[in-house]
Amino acid sequence: MNISLRQYYDILARYLRPQKLRFALLSLLVFTSIGMQVINPQVMRQFIDDATHGKSLHILLMSALLFVGIAICQQILSVSAAYVGEYVAWIATNGLREDLAKHCLYLDMQFHHEKSPGEFIERIEGDSLEFSNFFSQMVLRVAGNILLLTGILIAMFRVDMKLGAFFTVFAIITLLGLNMVRGIAIPFQKAHRDAATDFFGFLEERLSGTEDIRSSGAVGFVLRRLFELMTKIYRLWRKSALTQIYVRMTAGLLLMCGIGVAFVLGSQLFHDKIITIGVMYMIIHYTGLISQPIRELTQQVESLQNIGATVERMGELLRQNSTISEGEGANWPVGIPLEIEFKDISFAYHEDKPVLKNLSFKVEPGKILGLLGRTGSGKTTIARLIFRLYEAQSGDILLNGDSIKRATLDELRHRVAFVTQDVQLFQASVRDNITFFNKDIPDETIIEVINKLELADWFESLPEGLNTRLQTGGRSLSAGEAQLLAFTRVFLRNPGLVILDEASSRLDPATEQMVERAINHLLENRTAIIVAHRLGTLKRADDVLVLEHGGIGEYGNRLELLADENSHFYTLHQTGLEEVMV
Amino acid sequence: MTYQDEIMPDSEFSNKRSIPTWKIIWRLICFKPWIFISNLLAMFLLMGAWQIPGLVIRQFFNQLTSSAPAEFGVWTLVAFMFASELTVISGVFWLTLTNVPFFVHSLTLLRHNLLRHILRRPGASSLPDSPGEAVSRFRNDALEMPLFALWMNDLLGSIAFCTVALVVMSRINAKITIMAVLPFIIVGIVANFAMKKIEMYRRASRKASGIVSGFIGELFGAVQAVKAATAEKEVITHFHNLNEERRVISLKDRLFNEILRSIFMNATNLGTGIILILAGQAMREKTFSVGDFSLFVFYLGFISELTAFVGLLIARYQQIGVSADRMHRLMEGSTPEALVEFIDTHLDGSLPEVTYSKESEFGPLQELRAEGLSYTFPNSENGIRDVSFTIPRGSFTVITGRNGSGKTTLLRVMLGLLSKDEGKIFWNSNEVENPGEFFVPPHSAYTAQVPRLFSDTLRDNILMGMDKNDDDIYAAMFTAVLEEDLSQLDEGLETRVGPKGVKLSGGQMQRTAAARMFVRDPELLVFDDLSSALDVETEKKLWERVFQREGATCLVVSHRKAALRSADQIIVMQDGRVDAIGKLADLLETNDELNRLWHGVVEKEEGAEEE
Repeated sequence: MNISLRQYYDILARYLRPQKLRFALLSLLVFTSIGMQVINPQVMRQFIDDATHGKSLHILLMSALLFVGIAICQQILSVSAAYVGEYVAWIATNGLREDLAKHCLYLDMQFHHEKSPGEFIERIEGDSLEFSNFFSQMVLRVAGNILLLTGILIAMFRVDMKLGAFFTVFAIITLLGLNMVRGIAIPFQKAHRDAATDFFGFLEERLSGTEDIRSSGAVGFVLRRLFELMTKIYRLWRKSALTQIYVRMTAGLLLMCGIGVAFVLGSQLFHDKIITIGVMYMIIHYTGLISQPIRELTQQVESLQNIGATVERMGELLRQNSTISEGEGANWPVGIPLEIEFKDISFAYHEDKPVLKNLSFKVEPGKILGLLGRTGSGKTTIARLIFRLYEAQSGDILLNGDSIKRATLDELRHRVAFVTQDVQLFQASVRDNITFFNKDIPDETIIEVINKLELADWFESLPEGLNTRLQTGGRSLSAGEAQLLAFTRVFLRNPGLVILDEASSRLDPATEQMVERAINHLLENRTAIIVAHRLGTLKRADDVLVLEHGGIGEYGNRLELLADENSHFYTLHQTGLEEVMV
Repeated sequence: MTYQDEIMPDSEFSNKRSIPTWKIIWRLICFKPWIFISNLLAMFLLMGAWQIPGLVIRQFFNQLTSSAPAEFGVWTLVAFMFASELTVISGVFWLTLTNVPFFVHSLTLLRHNLLRHILRRPGASSLPDSPGEAVSRFRNDALEMPLFALWMNDLLGSIAFCTVALVVMSRINAKITIMAVLPFIIVGIVANFAMKKIEMYRRASRKASGIVSGFIGELFGAVQAVKAATAEKEVITHFHNLNEERRVISLKDRLFNEILRSIFMNATNLGTGIILILAGQAMREKTFSVGDFSLFVFYLGFISELTAFVGLLIARYQQIGVSADRMHRLMEGSTPEALVEFIDTHLDGSLPEVTYSKESEFGPLQELRAEGLSYTFPNSENGIRDVSFTIPRGSFTVITGRNGSGKTTLLRVMLGLLSKDEGKIFWNSNEVENPGEFFVPPHSAYTAQVPRLFSDTLRDNILMGMDKNDDDIYAAMFTAVLEEDLSQLDEGLETRVGPKGVKLSGGQMQRTAAARMFVRDPELLVFDDLSSALDVETEKKLWERVFQREGATCLVVSHRKAALRSADQIIVMQDGRVDAIGKLADLLETNDELNRLWHGVVEKEEGAEEE
């Protein structure tokens, strides 16, 4: 599998172009430092010839000091180059990280349901790290080393045409040979990295479920899986490492050919008195030095192979497109309740398992629909479809008379709000959790919203107000409190339609009252669909829809259904149970 | 509410190590000594092969300048060079064949021990940081250790090489050779000064990396919420800021390391300069040939690499300590030595048998008794105090109370998921010393409020390694009211449920977790509030089926009337204490708190009907 150079170039150009000047400085540093490497053997030659011809100590001292001076300069240059290179690399890899994260974030939920967060860590963080050397060094090193190689060859030609010619041929053969072995290791490396990704995906998931593993007595089972995955890594790692030896072997053997040429040709020239012993030393030194650009080129080829596997993986990821396409914009009015209509919607997560079948209903502006149904009957799916987190296979959803496909996703998701049962929190401050890290929202606005929702009591219970840090996994807020936080999120955005997957009955009466009050404010002057878990919540609803097997089991005005003794809704009410279906 | 006080205490920047770094490295070496020794031999072979080119080149020059008799033809010398290269290649091959196993064995050891102890720690659920952060310790920190161990071989090889070099050199010219040793001393002093700073930068840079990984994990764990909030841009901006912080810190780390490296290199370059001066004088006096000169320069390259390498090692030695500490922090309650406790790594493909004990050491449950259980959350006054109760075999006990009254805490303390401050637990009059180890199948099984599933098949999620046949699974699924859902799933038991079970609905996840519990057939069934994802009808059905199981003893957290009505006893919790214990009818007459809970819901229901 060969990755076309074009792919490498595209990535490079994309992330280095914004830092042209810095990159130019880096080039200057790298090239100067390499140039000094060509000069130093000349100093050595002078030194040896002077010493063997008995020149004065003063002259020898000068040569020695010149050598040290050049060496120190080179060190300073190389530190600067390393620093600037690292700088360039961080800017570039951070850009890459952000682009990858952004791309993945915009992919549809179908894609996300296949992947665990641990996999994303490996894909975004792991793969970007691989690229670090690529941005800071690879291109410059390759260019610089080609330059060094050219410099050495010119020096050889100046000594003797035949010598120069031999070395040119030698260098070309070596480079061609290396290029040939280039592709061998890529597939193995890719397999190895994929196995690592699987492992870290496994790990992340188990680390978030430690309690379940332990209380199920399944520690042994999980550890067994760890062994299994590590065994796979072992096998692939070994293969990948062994294939990389080919590259090194080719380079090493070819280099020995070069030294052979230098020995044979050099000693002949020396015996013919064409060159001095100092020049002979220089030739050998240059031959040794030639190994450096060639070794470096090999190494960079190796890195390029590593990157090749990553480029491929990344390409795979970037080629993934969201199946959800943007519309051109619907221009829904802001600040008024919006009408929502389902027209003959059918949807399935898996082809032959329909979740919704020809579902139609309509909620007038400002009205509230209570949604009931057994677990798995498709309630959450309805919310996801309105949000275009998934796309219905047939039928259409109209918002204010316009198909939601006409709107941009941004527009749609700003006009509609979705409060999920399990509110996902970040390990960040309450402020950041409410605003989703939007720094443009001033604290006053947030507090105003909190007051409007009558959540001042809750807010005051936070030890450090908006700066209170939350833990992930909802460990620091109860389900009810998390929903209160989610209400604040929604209220800030002023949507025209609210879909509320009500927190189920885990709430205690005090929190519940707070939630009730907040919902009252939240639904004021808005259309709403409530996935209800309590009759108390349902009393707000104008209409009630009972989902059954993906279709309508019962649908109508709530009060009418309540009056009809034959309705399922009536029966539910009469059983006197405190909660309705989830 | 428990708030996190600090994400990562900076007070840990101390120099106190929980375990000496060398000990970890030594344990790793002792873990697979033969691979390690074989690796060392490969290194010696490699180093031996690397001696040859220098000697051959010296001979070549000495023959040219007639400083030595022409023993070998040019072609023979070329053949020597090829022989050395072939030896180098074999050495590299051998090294690879030992490097990789050493790495993987060590990694498996470290990762296994780390995971095992995380799964064992009291309060198994609370990792100090996000799971993503923890993954970075399994990844980066674990890699450091075998790498360092293998570097010991590089070091030994280099030292051997340089010793030979020094002997050869001093036999040629002792005075010049002594000068070559000087840079070592300088480097030693510099490295000692730099150590503390290296560690500080390293820690900071690792921490920043951990935060970035952690955020990626969180971000993609919450992707639906982010999409629903159209917060993609803001979230990416936040990600950008974290990245920037990390860049600045990492650059400092890198610059410092580079400067240090450069000091090593320059010290040796200076030494080379001195040698050049001395050699010049000797060459004029013909006591030092061009061949000797070439050999000295050849060796000096290696010596300079060794000095730089020693500096690097000293610096990295500190960093291993950092890594070990970071890993140990995840293993609360275990000794640091546990990290490097020997295990069978099973890399030959023979996977360990997963065994589940079937019999309880204290016999079948007759009575479970808790006496004076207390627990206070760190840095807060919340918790439970002095809780006592008795659960007879075959009974149905419901713990109820408002939010924050300590219901879940009580369950978790009893199960050892939080380690109790005070109190005793008795299983048939035998005291349970370590509830965390004891309250697992066959004694008990537990379904949390928000249970976790894993991206395996439904079967694996239910069994998790148990050796049961399909009928057992179906029976467990029936009790969990999952039979209808099963018929709807694509591939039945082989259906893959997706990461964290996302392909199932909330209720299905909860019931799968319940099935996971039933298939284990434990003496005691513990449920933490099923109502969050189960509708009343399903829950009712589930209880009916549970009661049909022989001798099923249940301990349940619930507010639901259905549960309260069928309870043999109700434990009413208020502010972390037991407010009352008794039957529903009695409590309704005597207990205010239960009345509040009971009627608080009733009033609302009536309100709904009045409308």
